[in-house]
Amino acid sequence: MWSMIFVSSLSLGSFYTLVALGFALIFGVTRNFNLAHGELVVLAGYVSYWLWKMWAFPFILTFPAAVLVSLVICLGLERLFARLHEPLALNSIVLSFGVAVVIQNSMLFLFSGNYRLIRIPVLSRGFHLPGLYISYTQITLLGSSLIILFLLYMLMYRTYLGKAMRATIQDKDAAAMAGINVSAMGTLAFCIGALLIGLAGPLYGCIHYLYPSSGQEATLVAVTITIFAGVGRLSGIILAGWILGLAESFTVVFFGVSWREMVSAVLLLALLYFRPHGILGHGER
Amino acid sequence: MENDKKTMNFLTAKNRLNKSKTHWIGLFLGFMLFFALPLLVQSNHYILQVFTHALLLAALALAWDLLGASGSISLGHAAFFGAGAYASALLGLDLGLSPWATIPLAGLIATGLGLIMGLICLRLRGAYFALATLAFVEIPWVITDNWDSLTRGSLGLVGISGLPSIRIHGFHVDFGSSIVVSYYLIFAYFMILLGLVAFVHQSNIGLALQAIREEEIAAEAVGIHVNGYRLLSLLMSAFFTGVCGACYAHLVRYIEPGLVYGLHFSAVPMIFAICGGRLTILGPAVAAMVLYPMDQFVFHPLLPAGHEFLYGAVLILAMLFMPNGFWGRLRNAS
Repeated sequence: MWSMIFVSSLSLGSFYTLVALGFALIFGVTRNFNLAHGELVVLAGYVSYWLWKMWAFPFILTFPAAVLVSLVICLGLERLFARLHEPLALNSIVLSFGVAVVIQNSMLFLFSGNYRLIRIPVLSRGFHLPGLYISYTQITLLGSSLIILFLLYMLMYRTYLGKAMRATIQDKDAAAMAGINVSAMGTLAFCIGALLIGLAGPLYGCIHYLYPSSGQEATLVAVTITIFAGVGRLSGIILAGWILGLAESFTVVFFGVSWREMVSAVLLLALLYFRPHGILGHGER
Repeated sequence: MENDKKTMNFLTAKNRLNKSKTHWIGLFLGFMLFFALPLLVQSNHYILQVFTHALLLAALALAWDLLGASGSISLGHAAFFGAGAYASALLGLDLGLSPWATIPLAGLIATGLGLIMGLICLRLRGAYFALATLAFVEIPWVITDNWDSLTRGSLGLVGISGLPSIRIHGFHVDFGSSIVVSYYLIFAYFMILLGLVAFVHQSNIGLALQAIREEEIAAEAVGIHVNGYRLLSLLMSAFFTGVCGACYAHLVRYIEPGLVYGLHFSAVPMIFAICGGRLTILGPAVAAMVLYPMDQFVFHPLLPAGHEFLYGAVLILAMLFMPNGFWGRLRNAS
């Protein structure tokens, strides 16, 4: 039984990493907290559900559409964020909170408040290994999350563009002085973030019921993982995702499903309590 | 040069006097309008119900802004609202206490929750404080959801008693009996809270909070106990938010965790306060009195699903074009 819990929390944790990546990247490069992140993930899930259910698209082909929708919205969001005044982090929270309310209500209008789930028959099957049972959903989550992480790692650490982006994450002013087009890096971060959201959304719809206000939970997961990992550390993000996945699985085993929603909130509060200056540390705000 | 300065000072002082005069006249007219509203709408049940809720939300926005005055933005006031609503309803249902007792007790319980939030969150500033409050709501929510033996869990509470009644020497008013008297009770609560907020703003507490908001380090340097005042503003805010939640429970007479702890009651007071003007006294209340009826009378019939779209859109517009809120802008322009 423990090995099964371990496998399921590993796949869930990897998926949480995927959910958090877009948020962390946008925050790292532009220092904007995007509280509408979860809503965008759910919206991407809805786009996929709708194409899959109404127009009988093959599930794989719904990903490009989900990416496209989130790309359009993220680029709009970037224009909104660009007009904010200092303090940037706080104002971006309030602004994106408004965006989250708008997206939630638009989804309520477009897709109604019913609970939806993308049920792919193939994914609900699985196979037995000695001592444990693995479903194809878990394999898909684990595999796709790790592949996307690997590709992002290659982009960030093996290309010149990635180097420029990491420089922007570390110190915006110094990066600008070194001749890096910082605002272009911001736009790029929003684009990659949108891509990640578009990939995470349909997968989210496979393992979690979609309803207009379900995005809050995903936002909280993304915030918790980002605060845990710190800015610009991909390995930290994977570790944080796995720890969150494990913590949620153990809470479900010991206390029951209904306490699961509190795990990421308690983790976030504990993190903020012990690291009051947040992710950046060193007394900097 | 010296003379010029004196004339300038004199002119601004005179201007301020005139302004405060118009201010008082406006306030008086507004008061009379709301006082006479049940007559004006001939006790139309629906319209009065909407304005009762608008006054309650205006009080909620005022309570939110007691914390907002210290420069902190909370995204988690539903924690106090929900705790107040549940506390008052349960004290009434299980112990049979009168709402006159349970409503202030609910405020105190919300204050206790505020103390817990303060211990965790007050060392945080700005964005991180906001994120912490966002996460904090989950705790009372999930506990209420799971503590079945006390709170009836996610089923919610029914049969909550209506708003209380007064009996003094044969004089008898039952505030729960009709919407008109409920309206006046909520109106009285709103006016008391408004007076209190105005008093806090011009008192030493208000000055200290303003100093903290403008420049925390300088405030600390002149001897203001920064975290003490921030905690005080959080506790006051939590108390009155809890009382609002309790009034809501007795007004609606049915509550469930998702209803009172949900995003709505965290978002709405913040949106009203920011759109109206976070640094003004009346701004949040005026925004509530304009936006909520607009939502109910205009957007709800047009868009039954997703009418709260309005709140998000208004918040985005305010953040982009009027960072001081429309009341703040009006005041600066005049």
